[in-house]
Amino acid sequence: MGKFLLLAFRNVFRNRRRTVMTLMMVGGGVAGLLLVGGFFAFMFHGLRESTIRNGLGHIQIFTAEHFQRDEVHVLDTGISNWRRVAASVRTGSHVRGVAPRIDFYGMLSNGVKSSVFMGSAVEPDSERSMGFSPRIASGRDLGSNSNGEVEALIGTGVAKSMSVKVGDGLTILAVTADGALNGIDVQIVGIVNTGFKDLDDRYLRITLPSAQRLLQTDRVTNLVVGLDDTENTDSVAATLIPELRGQSQPMVIRKWIDLAAYYQQVRTLFSGIFLFLGIIVFFMVLMASVNTLLMAMFERTREIGTMLAMGTPRIWIVALFMVEATLTGLFGAAVGVFGGNLLGVALNVSGLHLPPPPGSDVPMAFKVLHVPGLMIGASLLVVISLALASILPAIRASRLQIAEALAHV
Amino acid sequence: MHPSDDLVHVDAATRKFPLDHSAVTALDHTSLRVAAGEFLAIAGPSGSGKSTLLNLIGCIDKPTSGRIFIDGVDTSQLSPARTTALRREKIGFVFQTFNLIPVFTAAENVEFPLLIQGVNASERRTRVTEALESVGLAARANHRPDLLSGGERQRVAVARAIVGRPALVLADEPTANLDTRNATQLIELMRDLNRRLGLTFLFSTHDQRLLEHTPRIVRLTDGRVESDTHSQGDSHGQILATCVS
Repeated sequence: MGKFLLLAFRNVFRNRRRTVMTLMMVGGGVAGLLLVGGFFAFMFHGLRESTIRNGLGHIQIFTAEHFQRDEVHVLDTGISNWRRVAASVRTGSHVRGVAPRIDFYGMLSNGVKSSVFMGSAVEPDSERSMGFSPRIASGRDLGSNSNGEVEALIGTGVAKSMSVKVGDGLTILAVTADGALNGIDVQIVGIVNTGFKDLDDRYLRITLPSAQRLLQTDRVTNLVVGLDDTENTDSVAATLIPELRGQSQPMVIRKWIDLAAYYQQVRTLFSGIFLFLGIIVFFMVLMASVNTLLMAMFERTREIGTMLAMGTPRIWIVALFMVEATLTGLFGAAVGVFGGNLLGVALNVSGLHLPPPPGSDVPMAFKVLHVPGLMIGASLLVVISLALASILPAIRASRLQIAEALAHV
Repeated sequence: MHPSDDLVHVDAATRKFPLDHSAVTALDHTSLRVAAGEFLAIAGPSGSGKSTLLNLIGCIDKPTSGRIFIDGVDTSQLSPARTTALRREKIGFVFQTFNLIPVFTAAENVEFPLLIQGVNASERRTRVTEALESVGLAARANHRPDLLSGGERQRVAVARAIVGRPALVLADEPTANLDTRNATQLIELMRDLNRRLGLTFLFSTHDQRLLEHTPRIVRLTDGRVESDTHSQGDSHGQILATCVS
């Protein structure tokens, strides 16, 4: 077996120029997959973390009713004993913080013009403790204590459409928990750029006490849990489920992945693109390798005839060609992994940026992640491609007529 | 004589090759018997059927009609796998163009037949050393073919042919690519192995000088045996003298 592998190994490097070309082709395919896949992974990772840090959090806690029926009145499916639940959750491992939220809708007005908003009420300190700070374009974040003024953050789109800036005032109107219309005056302390234009056109954020005063309730919509690492989401979620069973209201939890519909759509789309790219690389390597291996078989016809004449079983010839192709695939994969990672490092330090993606106005960093699973997958893909590509030449070689092969010039 | 008494028995073998809409007869009802231990040359001009006959005896081609017996076995009755095994176990080949595996060293080339026979590593080492010593190339064991002269390559090919201890060694024009000196040394080597180890050698040649003192010469013309001559005694030294002069 050792000598057989040695023969296959030496045959791989027999025609060095051709081998170098094959390795470059195979390596190029692997490197291409690593770069594209690494960029996609970076994009997924960035989108995941920005989705979480833009306020989604790692886990959200709701009352079970929240998903079972529509609210008749504002927050009548909200969490009433949220302080106790939050205190209980905060003691868990990997939990960085728990923030109560109220989601509400209404109208805002500058006295001249009105617009619809999607409001979010938060405890600024709790949000900041989890690193969920909004991306401030101008001004500052909400303060924890205000001097009688109700502070508000608005999106860049809102600021533009309402012709307001930091320091200006707005009136917000919303329906209370009793169904009445209520309004409060707010002062704009910051303008936020979420990265999503549609959201920026409707964005409003005020403090939780202000919202509770506006809506005349002490409930919250949900509790957002921030963790030390996104990878711990599943394990923390598993421990939270039994912990929440003892609460007065039945509770349910939702992990970030369940709530991040946009992230899932993007991931599905780009995974499809990557799969398509993988198929192209697979067939590119397959077709080019068949040609190269047939050429190698043709050149070695007399040698194969000699081996067959000496009594070498035909299956050995098939195996020899397949092992040679597999070795070529392995070497090509090694070249590709090395080259792809090297290029990835070069791209990462180059500081390249892409134009803002649709729905965003922030340029996107071009970085490539080094993903071990991707390296293994791309390597396996080319090794399998080459092994498959060798089947035809190997079978042809094994079926050579010995006398004709020996007479081959 | 019963076929099984001979190492090789060619029984009215005919081999035709298709050419356009007709057929070329390379071998025409040829019969031949070779006993174990013989040193036999098949002579004849180009196209006389020498290589075809050797191919049939070597089981790398099949006759259109007739039968070939090797050590009493009718090769026409064998499956492809058994034919391969027969070649592996009973026949050694020496080719005109040496046909060594270029990526293997001399020793590895000689080892290859043992590898496919499934001989264990220590036994392989011993037999490769013996075979290379018997052809005088022990010192060149680790050289690749491209670093050996033509004569040395052919001697490696002979070592490869005999290392598996075959009953029969077939050599198709083994001296055609060698100069006179190397050709003579090769024939001397083959004759020596024939005598010392009792190996049966069948080789084809059209070199008249080498044929003069070969104990048995079968001459082919147009695919038929024209003559089959035996000479008593062996003046191998005279072959050398003739060739070198």
